[in-house]
Amino acid sequence: MAIELGLNEEQSMLKTMARDFLATEAPKTFVRQMMDDEVGHSPELWQKMAELGWQGLVFPEEYGGAAMNFRDLTILCEEMGRAVMPGPFYSTVILVGLPILDFGTDEQKAEFLPKIANGEIVCTLAALEESGDLWADDLHFRALPRGDGYALSGTKMFVTDAKAADYMLVAARTRRTQDPEDGVTLFMVNANDFGIYIDNMTVMDLTRKQYEVRFTDVPVSASNIIGELHGGWPILQQIALKASAVLSAEMVGAGEMAMEMTVAYLKDRMQFGVVIGTFQALKHKAADMYAAMEYSRSLMEWAAECVKEDDRDAPMAVAMAKSYCGDAVKFVTDAGIQLHGGIGFTWDHDMHLYFKRGRYNDTTFGDSNYQKEWITRKLEANLM
Amino acid sequence: MVSSEPEKLEALREEVRAFLRENLPEKWGTPAYEPLEAGSEEQVALSKSFTKKLYDAGYTAFGVPAEYGGIERPREEIAVIREELRRQGTPMPFVGLGRLVVDTLLQWGTEEQKKRFLPPILRGEVYWIEGFSEPNAGSDLAGVQTTAVRDGDEWVINGQKCWTSGWDYGEWGFLLCRTDVNAPRHRNLGFFLFDCNTPGFSRRPLYQITAEAHAQYGELFFDDMRVPHENLVGEEGRGWYIAMTTLIAERGGGQVSAASGETGGMGLGLFGTRTIGGVDSLIELARKTKHYGQTAWDDSSFRRRIAQIAIENEAMRAYGMRLGKMIMSGSASGNEASMAKLTWTEQGKRRGDMVCEMIGAYSQLMRGDPRAVDNGDLVFSMLMSRGTTIFMGTSEICRNILSERILGLPRG
Ligand SMILES: Cc1cc2nc3c(=O)[nH]c(=O)nc-3n(C[C@H](O)[C@H](O)[C@H](O)COP(=O)(O)OP(=O)(O)OC[C@H]3O[C@@H](n4cnc5c(N)ncnc54)[C@H](O)[C@@H]3O)c2cc1C
Repeated sequence: MAIELGLNEEQSMLKTMARDFLATEAPKTFVRQMMDDEVGHSPELWQKMAELGWQGLVFPEEYGGAAMNFRDLTILCEEMGRAVMPGPFYSTVILVGLPILDFGTDEQKAEFLPKIANGEIVCTLAALEESGDLWADDLHFRALPRGDGYALSGTKMFVTDAKAADYMLVAARTRRTQDPEDGVTLFMVNANDFGIYIDNMTVMDLTRKQYEVRFTDVPVSASNIIGELHGGWPILQQIALKASAVLSAEMVGAGEMAMEMTVAYLKDRMQFGVVIGTFQALKHKAADMYAAMEYSRSLMEWAAECVKEDDRDAPMAVAMAKSYCGDAVKFVTDAGIQLHGGIGFTWDHDMHLYFKRGRYNDTTFGDSNYQKEWITRKLEANLM
Repeated sequence: MVSSEPEKLEALREEVRAFLRENLPEKWGTPAYEPLEAGSEEQVALSKSFTKKLYDAGYTAFGVPAEYGGIERPREEIAVIREELRRQGTPMPFVGLGRLVVDTLLQWGTEEQKKRFLPPILRGEVYWIEGFSEPNAGSDLAGVQTTAVRDGDEWVINGQKCWTSGWDYGEWGFLLCRTDVNAPRHRNLGFFLFDCNTPGFSRRPLYQITAEAHAQYGELFFDDMRVPHENLVGEEGRGWYIAMTTLIAERGGGQVSAASGETGGMGLGLFGTRTIGGVDSLIELARKTKHYGQTAWDDSSFRRRIAQIAIENEAMRAYGMRLGKMIMSGSASGNEASMAKLTWTEQGKRRGDMVCEMIGAYSQLMRGDPRAVDNGDLVFSMLMSRGTTIFMGTSEICRNILSERILGLPRG
């Protein structure tokens, strides 16, 4: 098995290309424009990304993809985190594109993947409900049999990019048994269907829009089921696994950027007649930030490799990366504000964008604390 | 390469396993293992004989050219050997601080020095000690005051060193001395190798907070000790830069033991401890330790701290993989070793404290009390960890190095 950390030549090129592209196409002026925008999605940028092959990066060529691998995808996402890039790439590609690729039928793949790859559609996942956790027992949203298909009713919350989306992958309960993980089914739903109401949630991280989505008796065909009827839970877990690896990559990109901005400021800002980077209390904080990001990167690369290789350590590696990166990005962006002083607390300074994105990424699919509890259970099971 | 065929590698793996079954002490790696007292004569003797066996079997001394006693094997074989050694928590082949001399001489030694000193070190035959720190020069190592004055073919050394680990076992030592009292700082030092049987050399013990009967470190005194010129490493006046190589090797080396789950790193020496501190043993301890009506494992504050240690161990391991690649591609500066040292030692303190919290009132019982948990090793490790954040460059010095030499912040 080939777990290789660090980047090969092709991957370094991809990284440089992504960084350059995002620097010109998604500078902070653009990010702030999207923050102010209700939908937060730029169709022009979406199209340019499709021309570069980003949305279809890991799809096979027959579906208009570039046939690259999951590790390559995390390199792109790391750069997007570094740029606190707004928009529905994560929702479309990670939350919906990958599960269709992994679990869709040939017809479903042929229907959706080329459209995702060429930038024709935006998609998102509607899984969470009132609890905000991906927890089977909390999933109440109903799909009742209606004719040849089903009718969807209920409310989904924390749905990213719902207003930009053309399709939603909706997790619904098709039956209730003793086992809450049984009887969950995933449906691809046209987001413009009659009976779907989308409300803004007033979120902290404005670079990643979230919505409450109400479904009232929305009909959906049985041919739109992704995976097995009643068998959606393991797919959701697989989505969470890959998304967590990607969120970790974003946290590495965002955390490194926050650290670099801070170190640059320490070399520039003068107080008491010297640059503040002379003060050891700040230098030592910077050293700890550096170490936190180096270890974050190491774990994230290991996790991404394990996912790519479908290694049996993947769940553990991803949980460890997610937990460590979550703690690290929270530490680094908190210190980032503190070390900037008053300017770091302003809306105009970019540090809070990283602070807030870090919190989104940490919370989503289980925060660092939750991951640790999961890890202890797994470690204990391994001992027995 | 024939030997890297899968079957051959599997055969090698079996061979290493058989070797370890044969040569590691009985019960090694289990809680029932009775560790030798760190720094005791038996422990030093076992370190020497075990290193020799590893060497004869061809399982150590990699990365050193064969002409200096190194063992050259295909990369795949080395990986298998290391994996198997690590799996058993095998102590590092290490007698005193000889390994640091290997790294230092490989970079700075003359042909004669390398041929003369390296093979015996790799075979585990000579106990080396490090004479860097002095009463008035610890973190500020460049301020050492021990002098070396040239006299014909010899150097005459006067002064004092302190905190010298393994002080009484030392058969050979290396020293940082001032060779020119007038030259500017960092350009006034020499790096010397000396035989501990030289007239004018004497030593005396210093006792640590860990309360061993046998002093673990001591003071060295030099009273007109004469060292031949051929024992000067590198050029006169360049000693500071040579010592940097030694320190990088020292700080980087600790990571290995942290990754294998050994407590205390190099400071404890071989066979001086059980392999406690590995995550499995922490979980086992938590499960069997009851506290206020529940096991420590049922207490989420302990569970999550154990998870954090598991995560950090993997982070250090994964970082090691990346660093290996950076070293090969020439993009590592060596200062990264300070990060590894900072991490494993600070983690060791937290781990020690957590374990003491777990065992509650029993955390007061030292080695020697029959009631002590795990023979007092847990408490011993907790105390020992206090030294690890001081030796080889304190945590503060490591952070200075990271912030100044890697992040480029101004010197204070
Ligand atoms: C167990 C053990 C084994 C050892 N073995 C050896 C050995 O074999 N050979 C050997 O030569 N030495 C050895 N040492 C000595 C060790 O290297 C020194 O103790 C260490 O370098 C610190 O020096 P010091 O004790 O003089 O403390 P000081 O340098 O006086 O430090 C006191 C405090 O000041 C802080 N400090 C100092 N300078 C700075 C700065 N610039 N910025 C911020 N904080 C600073 C330190 O971090 C520390 O907290 C050993 C020490 C221990 C504990």
